[in-house]
This record gives sequence, structure tokens and C-alpha cells, in this order.
Amino acid sequence: MSQVLKREVVYAFTGLVTVLMFVEYFFFAETWSLAETIRTWAIIVYNISLGLGAIQLLRQHTLNLQRKRDNYGYSAVVLAFFAIMFLTGMMGYLATGQQTDNGIYNWLFVNVYTPLGATLYPITGFYIFSAAYRAFRARNIDAALMLIAGCFVILSNAPVGEAIWPGFATIGEWFKFTGQIPGMRTFAMVGALGMIAYGFRALLGKERGFYAGGGDE
Amino acid sequence: MSITEKMANMDRRVFYWILFFAMMVPFLSPIGFPLSIAPNTQDLYDGVTGDSIDAGEIWIINFGYGVSAWSECAPGVTVVTKALFREDAKIIFMGPHYDVELTMNKLMEDAGADFAGKEYGEDYVFLGYITGGEAAITQLASDMRSVYPQDHHGTDLDDIPLMADVNEWRDIAGVLSSDTGDWGAYFLRQWQEPHDVPLAQIGISMLGSTGIPYWLAGNYFGMSVGSRGGAELEKLIGELGEATTAMDSISVSHLMIVIAVIMANIGVLTDRGRES
Repeated sequence: MSQVLKREVVYAFTGLVTVLMFVEYFFFAETWSLAETIRTWAIIVYNISLGLGAIQLLRQHTLNLQRKRDNYGYSAVVLAFFAIMFLTGMMGYLATGQQTDNGIYNWLFVNVYTPLGATLYPITGFYIFSAAYRAFRARNIDAALMLIAGCFVILSNAPVGEAIWPGFATIGEWFKFTGQIPGMRTFAMVGALGMIAYGFRALLGKERGFYAGGGDE
Repeated sequence: MSITEKMANMDRRVFYWILFFAMMVPFLSPIGFPLSIAPNTQDLYDGVTGDSIDAGEIWIINFGYGVSAWSECAPGVTVVTKALFREDAKIIFMGPHYDVELTMNKLMEDAGADFAGKEYGEDYVFLGYITGGEAAITQLASDMRSVYPQDHHGTDLDDIPLMADVNEWRDIAGVLSSDTGDWGAYFLRQWQEPHDVPLAQIGISMLGSTGIPYWLAGNYFGMSVGSRGGAELEKLIGELGEATTAMDSISVSHLMIVIAVIMANIGVLTDRGRES
């Protein structure tokens, strides 16, 4: 029975929803409330999955802490901050309907989360600079062409490139607006065709990973 | 061990410090390189100003980015918000990041003078956090109230004057999606392509290569790419801001990367010559 629930019912439900969405998109785009209802369910399920994710996160880090696995100190930090943010957010929400009306919650968000988040992307610049020296080597003609094109694009993106030589911008923009377009369009089309093929395989039950974490049939 | 080998094995922290000090220079002494306007940015600006906009039109601005991408996306969003408000358009703000409230607060700070003349609920509304991925964006096109029964502050949409007659794609004049990921593509597939709703993207630099083909094909009426796009928009509206300030450090960091690549490859060529 559990096997039927795990596979056949899921296959059947996925197939049914797919057919409904196809029919709605191509034939009843403006009028079909059934499809809208199913999408609302999808959004509700999506929201429930956020709660499940939070529970799983707590469970995993609690286990890390209990069993003193590697780096379990980080798990303690995660759990502590989870508790602080959850409790302070709830206190603000219960008091005024706004999580951010709690001073501690707001202070942590503005003064801890914001600077950390804002630092995340820029710090990659340092890694890229180090990697540019260590890894971007023209070991063959393909790598050399990629490096040359990359340098032109980098210098066309930064105003300094144009200031050094206007040709950097001209050549770099050729790569951006002409050179890369056929490749990107090919990627997009191949990706779309791949998604269609994947969808059909999933519908036919050939993609077990889609349903239960297994491999191809 | 040759000099090039020694340099190749240099502690990576040395590189970090070199870049750090190089990037300090423009902060201590701003350089101000001239900036040209890319055609995709010009199209975006033209699409939200002048004859392209009628007073009273309702636009959606989607914050598809979190705090970590403020430096790349926020300046562009600030400029288009100012531009739309100055054309007397109305704006619905929303976003799929849990820190969307911080982003909204930042926007209200950065475009404070423009928000000051506008009234919440009449001229703009903040719907807040959205989840549900592409299904939610699809649903938003047909029944906004099923996705957002209330705004961010808990007010029913029916009680908000701006939202009184707004519930689907037909009520929206255009969408501006500012992204680090797929949200612009969701609007493209579920709003622009089936319903022909004007759509533009204000994305991080990495989205430039994927987004430009859609701009060339007319799916996006315009596109701003990264901090540079933001600086170009600031130049177009005539109010220089944080993206323009960032351009000097971007110039220095990009130049340093190119110098590092050149030096590394000189080393490779030298070693190869020695071996042969």
C-alpha cells in the first residue's frame, strides 16, 4: 500500500495536474478557475514546506549538538539565533502585528544581518582577484581565447577601460551584444527542450528522482 | 624556484591586501571616470519616463534581491522609483526575499524626497513578502488577492484605495523586476509572453549575459546590468548616488583582476620559453 501511495498515486496526481495546467494555458487561459485553485494550493504547499524546512533545520542542528559532531559550535550559534529571532519576532508580531516592532529583532536585523549580507557579495571580489592570478592561465588556445574575451568584457564593464582606450568598450560590447548571443540563445532553447523532455519522462514515470529520490529507471 | 613559481605560490592573503589597498585609493581620492550609457539601460530609462508613461498608471516593482545584492540592484530600483513617481505613476512594491522589508525601508530612505510627496495606499503600496515561486507569479497575473489578501501591514487589499480596482495583469501597466535570480524570468514567462505586459529587469551583473538576449528579442523593454547599470541610470536622471560612487572602486578592482591575469600569463609564457 505504501508503495502505491509513494509511486502510483504521486504519478497519477502529477500527471493530472500537468494536464490541467497544459489545458488551461493553451485553451482556457482567461476563464478556468479550477487551475487557479490548484495554483493556490501549490502556493499553500510551498508555504508549508518553508515550515518543514525550519523544523528540519532545527532537528539537524540539534542532533549535531547532541552528538557533538564536527563544528557543532556553529550549530549552537544557529539554534541560538533561531531562538532569538523567532521569539523577538513573535513578541513584536503579537504586540503590534509587525515583527520589526520589537527592538531586539530590529536591531539584529539592521545591525547584524544587513552588514553581513551586504559584505557577502563584495568579499567574492577578493577571491576572484586571487583566483585570477592562480587559475586563469592560457594553457591552450581555447583558454587563451576565453581569457582575452574575458579581459575585454571586464574592461568594458568598468569605466576605467574606456578611459584607457575606447576600443575596450567597443570590443567588449561586441562580445556582450553580438558574440555571446548565439551561445546564450542556444543554451536557452536547449534548456527549454530539455525541460520538455524531462517533463514527459517524469510524466511517464521514467524520472524516479523526481518522485522518490531514485535514479533513472 | 623561479620568480614566477614563487609568485604563483604566494600566500593568497597577500592578494587580498593588495586589492584592499588598491580599492582604498578611490575612496580616499575619487577619480570619476567618464561613463557612457549602454543602449539597454537607455531603453529602460526611456520606458519609465516621458511619453512612455501616463499619469495614474500602476506599475509593479519586484524586489527579487536581498540585502547582499543591494550594491548592485538598489541604485537602479531607486532611480526607476523616482522616475515613475515623477511621472505620477503609482507603484506596487513586493518581493520574494525574507528581508524585503529592509529593502523597502532602504528604498524609502534613498528616494525619501519622492516618497515624501506620495501617500501610502493612494500612490504606492507595499505588499511585502511573496513565496510560491513561479506558481505565485502566475497566480498574481489572474488573481492577486489569492496571493496577497492583505498588504505588508495587514490591511485588506479591498481597503486600500490603490488596490481597489487592481486584481490581475490587465490592471498593471508594467513590471520592473530587480533580480539576483529567476524572478524576472517568471514574470517573462507568466506576464510578458502570454499577456504582453511590458517588463524590464534591473539585475546583478551576472544576469547580463542571460538577460541581454531577451532585451534584444523585445521581451524586456530595457535592462540595467549590475552597479554599472545603476550608475548609468543615476546619470540619466541627473542625480548621482551610491552606484556612481562605486564605479571608481569597480574600475580599480576590474583593472587589478586584468593585471593579475596578464601577470600570471606572462609567468606561464616565461616558464614555457625556459622549458623549451
